[in-house]
Amino acid sequence: MMKAGPENTAAPAEWTEKYRPSSVDDIIGNGKAVGEFTAWAKSWNSGMPESAAVILHGPAGVGKTSAAHAVANDMGWEVIELNASDQRTAAIIQRVVGSASRTVGLSGSEHRMIILDEADNIHGNYDRGGVQAIIGIIKTALQPMVLIANEYYDMSKTLRGVCTEIKFNKIQSRSIMPALRSICDAEGIHAEGLALDTIAEGANGDLRSAINDLQAVAMGRSHITPDDVIISGRDRRESIFDVLAHLFRRSGLNDAMHRIYDLDERPDELINWIVENLPESYDNEDSAHGFNYLSRADVFLGRVRRRQSYSLWRYASSVMVGGTMVSRSHKYKGFVRYRRPSFFMRLGRTRSVRGIRDSLTARIGDCFHVSRRYARSDLMYILRMICSDASVAVYVVARMGLGLDETAMLLDMKKTSKKVKTVFADASELAERIGPVVSPDFLYDFNGSVTDGGGDEISGRTPDVLDGGGNGNGADDPGPDRSQQTLFDF
Amino acid sequence: MFSGPAGTGKTASSIALARELFGDTWRNNFMELNASDERGIDIVRNNIKNFARMSSVGGAQFKIIFLDEADALTPDAQAALRRTMERYSQTCRFILSCNYSSRIIVPIQSRCAVYRFRPLGEDSMMQRILEISRAEELDISEDAVKAMIFVSQGDMRKAVNTLQSAAVMGKKIIPDAIYEITATARPEEIRELINLALDGELLKSIDRLTSMLVEKGLSGEDITAQMHREILGMENLTDKKKVELLDHIGEIEFRLTEGANERIQLDALIAHLVLSGGK
Repeated sequence: MMKAGPENTAAPAEWTEKYRPSSVDDIIGNGKAVGEFTAWAKSWNSGMPESAAVILHGPAGVGKTSAAHAVANDMGWEVIELNASDQRTAAIIQRVVGSASRTVGLSGSEHRMIILDEADNIHGNYDRGGVQAIIGIIKTALQPMVLIANEYYDMSKTLRGVCTEIKFNKIQSRSIMPALRSICDAEGIHAEGLALDTIAEGANGDLRSAINDLQAVAMGRSHITPDDVIISGRDRRESIFDVLAHLFRRSGLNDAMHRIYDLDERPDELINWIVENLPESYDNEDSAHGFNYLSRADVFLGRVRRRQSYSLWRYASSVMVGGTMVSRSHKYKGFVRYRRPSFFMRLGRTRSVRGIRDSLTARIGDCFHVSRRYARSDLMYILRMICSDASVAVYVVARMGLGLDETAMLLDMKKTSKKVKTVFADASELAERIGPVVSPDFLYDFNGSVTDGGGDEISGRTPDVLDGGGNGNGADDPGPDRSQQTLFDF
Repeated sequence: MFSGPAGTGKTASSIALARELFGDTWRNNFMELNASDERGIDIVRNNIKNFARMSSVGGAQFKIIFLDEADALTPDAQAALRRTMERYSQTCRFILSCNYSSRIIVPIQSRCAVYRFRPLGEDSMMQRILEISRAEELDISEDAVKAMIFVSQGDMRKAVNTLQSAAVMGKKIIPDAIYEITATARPEEIRELINLALDGELLKSIDRLTSMLVEKGLSGEDITAQMHREILGMENLTDKKKVELLDHIGEIEFRLTEGANERIQLDALIAHLVLSGGK
């Protein structure tokens, strides 16, 4: 189980590494996920499973990477790992993972597990083309592939579509406790129950951080008491709720400001917490006054952002904190459950739509040598009009190499609609034959059925092509006025 | 992970640790990187990874990478860091220092033991100031120590720098020198200025203000920042009044940072105080 180096000379190991489980049986928590994962791994013994790749996703420190290595170990598989500390461009991924994923081991029966850690962090620029390469590899893989991520929806939908999802959850503190206890036993440390309990509770479902906290406390001690368990940064969540309760319920600006100084939260983050909970805590009139102060505070925050003049933060803090407190005209009773800022969670939920939009505009930008912004504001609509003719749409989608989601967005239709499905299927077929291009010239090559007039008018410039094609199709498009305007605005 | 404001000992603790662990070879086994200079993903994939994978020097068991201002690393760079931290844990340890731990992505926090550094208390400040004064044979009065504590606000680096600057001028350390070096007005002076204005003494308070600007050489922003601090603690003002005044002072400070004229802006601020005093 332990993989500590040569005794005595090696550095004292980090316990999170020293006690990393080497077998599935040693994994703590997430029984269901680990079960699904093991079943998927075992299915490789009887031929290829439905999907060659799984995505293990969930919060930090719950055992995703450990599970992957433990399963590989139990199965007797070799592991190839690529993580965010390595550059992951299309070429590198192909080189490291591509061939390994398609070849079968020498003895014929054994497999290699390919682990792509931090799969939600494949960088847009530094790892250009990485995601596409992974999708391509998964589609043709003959070896088990394991993708690991924190944010499932940070990964492209196409990537998610070709993988089986396995979700890991936070680990309950009553499962963390015994794990800490057994480490203490192995290390010959006597720890009081309450001390371990405090660590387990403070970890907020993150087993790794609990073990790190335990090791930090245990340094130089053979006996751990509750007093030894220092309050670390992980108590942050409790303290912000306390501070909110203070702001919304009590008075005393100076006192509140001191609590803010102790809070490990920047004013530009704190204001989101206040904004989220203000209308829940006050009646309409008091909320309105409060929001007025918050908007003043926000002006200061904006100035800091723009000018980097951090000295103005103090005014943002005092106006948001004091303003919230003094807008309260009377006492409020009853329990309010404070919430974390929802704005970012909502952004998270629409992330996939924004992701598709961004990748489509990026592709349009590449093809026409324009910025993404311009692609989105000016070109998207024109392309959409041109593509109202299905045969043009097939050609455009094929040449631009768009995915199903992108096709749906380009055509402004549901991806389950018949037209999108047909266009995408035909385009995939066409793409096999003609392949994608990255030059704006590709529209010249089209000699299908744009419109009768369109073909003749083709001269040397792309806009002309678009004029011809667009005009013909724009006629049966709703809102021809807007389309004309856009076209000639070129 | 060491998290806390400036001058609370994050870097000092790290270097002290390295010296204690490695002795004479500490410089070879300790890599210090300021993340605000190099904040992209490249620094992690190249510099940090390369240092992490090299073995330690002089029989040391491991090396330490000290990432100062780690909260300045882009989230992508932070993501690239996390497996490096684990993979080379046999040869390399990481200390991340930051002002706000919330700026460090959760997967990194999860891989760290988090130590919070808070502004130093008055006792610790006083003890250290006296220690250094003794060692440097300085004659420092009790008032001067108090002044040091006031101007440094728990930032030990600022306190030590101030003390050294004062010592250059002479072995006898007096409060005025401390305030002068740090471009700080005596807190009583600022409080008197505010109260004078609130009492309706426009001309007198403008005169006081002018002497601070001209004779003491304070900048407009020094004065607004100190007014902020004083007003928070004033007991003769309601919280509502405080918030209104602080908002206004902030507005004036912003105009100063934009290049407005100190005299005009601060006179206008005084006039605003006179009006809001209602006398």
